Amino acid sequence: MPEEKNITCIGCPMGCAVTLTIDDDRKVTSITGYKCKEGQKYALAEYKNPVRTLTATVLTQNSSQRLLAVRTTAPIPKTKLLPGIMALAEVRAKPPIKMGDVVISNLLDTGVDVVATSGLLF
Amino acid sequence: MNRQNVDVAVIGSGPAGMAAAIRAKQSGAENVVVMERAEQMGGLLHQCVHNGFGLLYFNEDLTGPEYARRFMEKAMDVKVTPLLETMVTKISPEREITAISSKEGYITFTPKSIVLAMGCRERSRGALNIPGTRPAGILTAGTAQRFVNVEGFIPGKKIVILGSGDIGMIMARRLTLEGAEVVAVVEILPYIGGLIRNEVQCLHDFSIPLLLEHTITQIHGEKRIEAVNVARVDNNRDPIGGTERRIECDTLLLSVGLIPENELSSMAGVELDPITGGPIVGEMRQTNVPGIFAGGNVVHVHDLVDNVSWESELAGESAARFAMGAKWAEKGKIALKPGRNIRYIVPQTISGEREITLYLRVSDLEEGVRLKIGDIMSKALRVVKPSEMLKIELPMAQLRKLKQGATEIVVDCEKRGK
Ligand code: SF4
Repeated sequence: MPEEKNITCIGCPMGCAVTLTIDDDRKVTSITGYKCKEGQKYALAEYKNPVRTLTATVLTQNSSQRLLAVRTTAPIPKTKLLPGIMALAEVRAKPPIKMGDVVISNLLDTGVDVVATSGLLF
Repeated sequence: MNRQNVDVAVIGSGPAGMAAAIRAKQSGAENVVVMERAEQMGGLLHQCVHNGFGLLYFNEDLTGPEYARRFMEKAMDVKVTPLLETMVTKISPEREITAISSKEGYITFTPKSIVLAMGCRERSRGALNIPGTRPAGILTAGTAQRFVNVEGFIPGKKIVILGSGDIGMIMARRLTLEGAEVVAVVEILPYIGGLIRNEVQCLHDFSIPLLLEHTITQIHGEKRIEAVNVARVDNNRDPIGGTERRIECDTLLLSVGLIPENELSSMAGVELDPITGGPIVGEMRQTNVPGIFAGGNVVHVHDLVDNVSWESELAGESAARFAMGAKWAEKGKIALKPGRNIRYIVPQTISGEREITLYLRVSDLEEGVRLKIGDIMSKALRVVKPSEMLKIELPMAQLRKLKQGATEIVVDCEKRGK
């Protein structure tokens, strides 16, 4: 049974609802609903490998601040967002930390690090 | 510091204030101070831990704190003087500033020029008049953002969000990732109030239900909110009888719009635009009060911080030049008038002698339109939405087409013929 997948293009405020048809061999057989080439490209990339940057906070230890803001240095697969946040829940950041310091290296084998986006002086 | 000699005083150190102060300094103003009530510069950027900042300005995808850091460092580099933990309580039309500083107590001084960069605040529940009880557990999306991202606790476990502004959608994702359940985002309009990328990446990604053309008709709960009633609305945005249903929740977040923060501006005699809620400005971001300039969300609510920074740089440059003796008419000779389906245009007046960037918003969503800047320029657009600000560059080449002595330009958003 061919399967349909709906993806909203974020290329412009139009937000076209793009529909991909996928056959039994997981091949994309048609793409419809986009109003410009951008949408076709976006929908295909989003179908093949949806990635997002994970941003969050982690708890601190021995610090005047309760939290440290963090991010992944690059987008990671969408499916790794929730496991990623679970991994971050284990972290206790201790000062001093500078913006850009690695908090977790190679998060869940994605090859992407989690770094501090702010600092902890004390 | 000798405050008898301040060239430019910037009120607020969020993205607008920092950009204005840096540019003022770079434009030759000697003594530039930034007045900030918090302990550090950066304003609300520190609690916006999500990414999406700086895509246009730096061509990089930064988080709020990272975007703030770039400007904080630059401000230090160029030797802007921050006056932290200092709250401005009054500005007079003669530009006398009164403030309370935790270090120095009551201070007052008169800089050569001022940049208003106080930003905006969230509309709160009072402005909305939802019937029902007044229990705990109702807060603005921005307050929730502070709780979750700075203070370190989540405001509830089962959350309804009224309004689909950007902060609301971003908090929907943030709270979901932190273990809460966002049961619904309720939007009265047929389209979201924020950016499309936030609808996709904050709501769709986590299968958070978005109820368009719905509103909250009742709040339940004695001590703590227990549920809300949600109903579908008709074309006049009135609830349709019989469509009401109850949604259990322990928290209601409001993401129903932002209002420029202009109490100080009014005290200084700055004239405000009833539509934008901010000062009426000319192309140099000058207000009607000589020597007082304004930039960023205090002028009109932007959707991208990058534009806040750019607009405020202009205000900073003008303030520096004013401090060094340059003069402009408080109002440009040419008024920009909102025509068909245009809600507002900033700046409200221009001189016609300098290339400018127009920021504007439409009133209604429309597809297949043509934006007409008088008869000097026109631009076809696939879609326009009130939630997405339009930015139009108006170069000298077009401005030269203006008739001699023209006093207004009407901007229309016309429907394109097939
Ligand atoms: S397909 Fe083209 S028109 Fe449609 S949302 Fe994407 S960029 Fe915009």
